Amino acid sequence: MTHIPRIGIGGPVGSGKSMLIERLVPMLAEKGYSVSIISNDVISKEDADRIRDNLATKRGLLPENLVIGLATGGCPHTAIREDPSMNLAVIEEIESKHTELDLIIIESGGDNITTTFSPILADYSMYIIDVAGGDKYPRKGGLGIESCDLLVINKIDLAMMVGADLDIMRTDAKKIRNEKPFEFINCKTDEGVMKIAEHIIRDVLLDSVPKSAIAQKV
Amino acid sequence: MLEVNSPIGNIFLDEGFDDLKSKNVERLVISRMELEKRILRRKTDRGTDIGLKLDPGIRLRHGDVIKNGDTKIVVEQLPEKVISVRLKTKNMDVMILLGHIIGNRHRPISIQKEEILFPIQADSEKEVFTKLFQSIINYIEMTVEEKIFSPHSGADIHEH
Repeated sequence: MTHIPRIGIGGPVGSGKSMLIERLVPMLAEKGYSVSIISNDVISKEDADRIRDNLATKRGLLPENLVIGLATGGCPHTAIREDPSMNLAVIEEIESKHTELDLIIIESGGDNITTTFSPILADYSMYIIDVAGGDKYPRKGGLGIESCDLLVINKIDLAMMVGADLDIMRTDAKKIRNEKPFEFINCKTDEGVMKIAEHIIRDVLLDSVPKSAIAQKV
Repeated sequence: MLEVNSPIGNIFLDEGFDDLKSKNVERLVISRMELEKRILRRKTDRGTDIGLKLDPGIRLRHGDVIKNGDTKIVVEQLPEKVISVRLKTKNMDVMILLGHIIGNRHRPISIQKEEILFPIQADSEKEVFTKLFQSIINYIEMTVEEKIFSPHSGADIHEH
């Protein structure tokens, strides 16, 4: 079966995981990449419903059935690390029916700083935090913050209002991530979001041409 | 970018790679967690741009050899902090409790003779595990070491 590259997005409740997906997917679609989204949550499917409504129903950027809500019913990290079978079953179905896809995005339910994705589930992982948690957040570390492929620091427009110093966050993130990348973003204005798309295209899609473009040439 | 789908061998496990055991060889130095990945883009110590896109079922190991035309590149795993627990007893209860406590913290393990190794992120975790192991502390010896950690495959998750 075709393996479609998969990225995992983890982070605390309210840090902007769904919002990042809503801003990122249009940028990837603009470049011709076809994406499917699996949104994990503990009980509800609210995030998936909102993403589907915004990206599929209203904007037609992807078919509605390619935004899938998964109510995991337990600790969110279990469904993406210790026992990702629910997610893998969904992915298996997507991969068998939708070989035209370039990328699958898996959103974790909101979780703590030790969140990581099983390498079997995600080829690349992002961990998103926001400045409202305080500028101490990056230096406190934790497996999610330290080991993810890309650390994303969201809501930078709120930094002044909550007394968070972005220079401190930058210095600490650089130190704790040992030169692995991190980006500051503001999902309300798209500031910095294109850089996230560029990381994905370079490091996950390995600069490959969208499958739709190849299909058109043939 | 050099796309790599599979290594051609391993300098520690296969014959014919003796010339690659010298220090002058080009290396792709990556962490244990990166070794578990199917897709990864990294540069070697000499600047070669590598895009790993491994075939199904292939996973890189420390010492694997990647071919770039006539050049060979050796994959080198970074050492990491581990706690090494040596058992001073063969008491079954102690062994079970030890496994239960480590497993409860979701740590991968490596079993070497009478030692169990598991990774930690910071030295301060020794204090945490000293507390967790309190009921068996007299039957074990604990040290923090820097090692190339290869997890036991028993807890691997697999795709069908």
